[in-house]
Amino acid sequence: MPIKIEQLVVGYEFPPNGYKLEPSVIAKYLEAVSRTSGQDSPVPEFVPPMAIAAYTMLVMSRALSLPPGSIHASQELEFFKLVPVGTTINCRGRVAQKLNRGKLNLLVIELDALNHEQEKVLSGQATIVVPS
Amino acid sequence: MNKELKLSDLHQGDSLSSVVKHVTQENINLYAEASGDFNPIHIDESFAAQTPLGGTIAHGMLILAYVSEMMTEAFGNSWQAGGKLSVRFKAPARPEDIITVTGKIDSIEQKEDTPYVNCDLETRNQHGEIIVTGKATVKLCS
Repeated sequence: MPIKIEQLVVGYEFPPNGYKLEPSVIAKYLEAVSRTSGQDSPVPEFVPPMAIAAYTMLVMSRALSLPPGSIHASQELEFFKLVPVGTTINCRGRVAQKLNRGKLNLLVIELDALNHEQEKVLSGQATIVVPS
Repeated sequence: MNKELKLSDLHQGDSLSSVVKHVTQENINLYAEASGDFNPIHIDESFAAQTPLGGTIAHGMLILAYVSEMMTEAFGNSWQAGGKLSVRFKAPARPEDIITVTGKIDSIEQKEDTPYVNCDLETRNQHGEIIVTGKATVKLCS
């Protein structure tokens, strides 16, 4: 059951979860970001780092019930290793900050993605503005 | 395809090859499907029309995919395995916007015999409004 924002506290750690970056998943991602203007293109050997970020955030968002209208305000990301297509990434997230500003909540979530050897391939921090 | 830049190609003040994208509602919908982010602010025009934004907007991560495309074209695996970015979303990108992503080399520094390229990033729409602003750093592979 996804946790609601009002239940979140600083330090809360989302249940870790995995996501397999299969060729079909990456192909769908590439089509969406119009890498080749709608034309078919071969799936690359390595996963685009922003795809890793997107799927890490997907895993986290499934554990968190964000209300409609939540807005992504800022993003920090760092990429550490090439990730071959087909890798399963293990995603971890935690609440770094939770601030209330009147009708809005500011939520800062830290994210990590690790490969099967438990090596960090990505880390990041997302700031999300959430309507009360 | 652009040639990946080598250290000898890089100078402070150089501009990276820009990326231009036409954001459509179709792209936004495809990104929602691909990313699993079905926030109605992105895909539900009726819902979005009733918010202060007045209409649907593109996912911030979709716009960052364009930023990453520019950095990958410039730096290849160095970006994918050693890149870092920090950005703020200043304004939404909307359907039918033409987004231009630009980057400029701010500085090049050596840390423990490894060169790092620091870049300023900007994304603007066709009206010149800033959509994304921020910085990126690339640890150049040898």
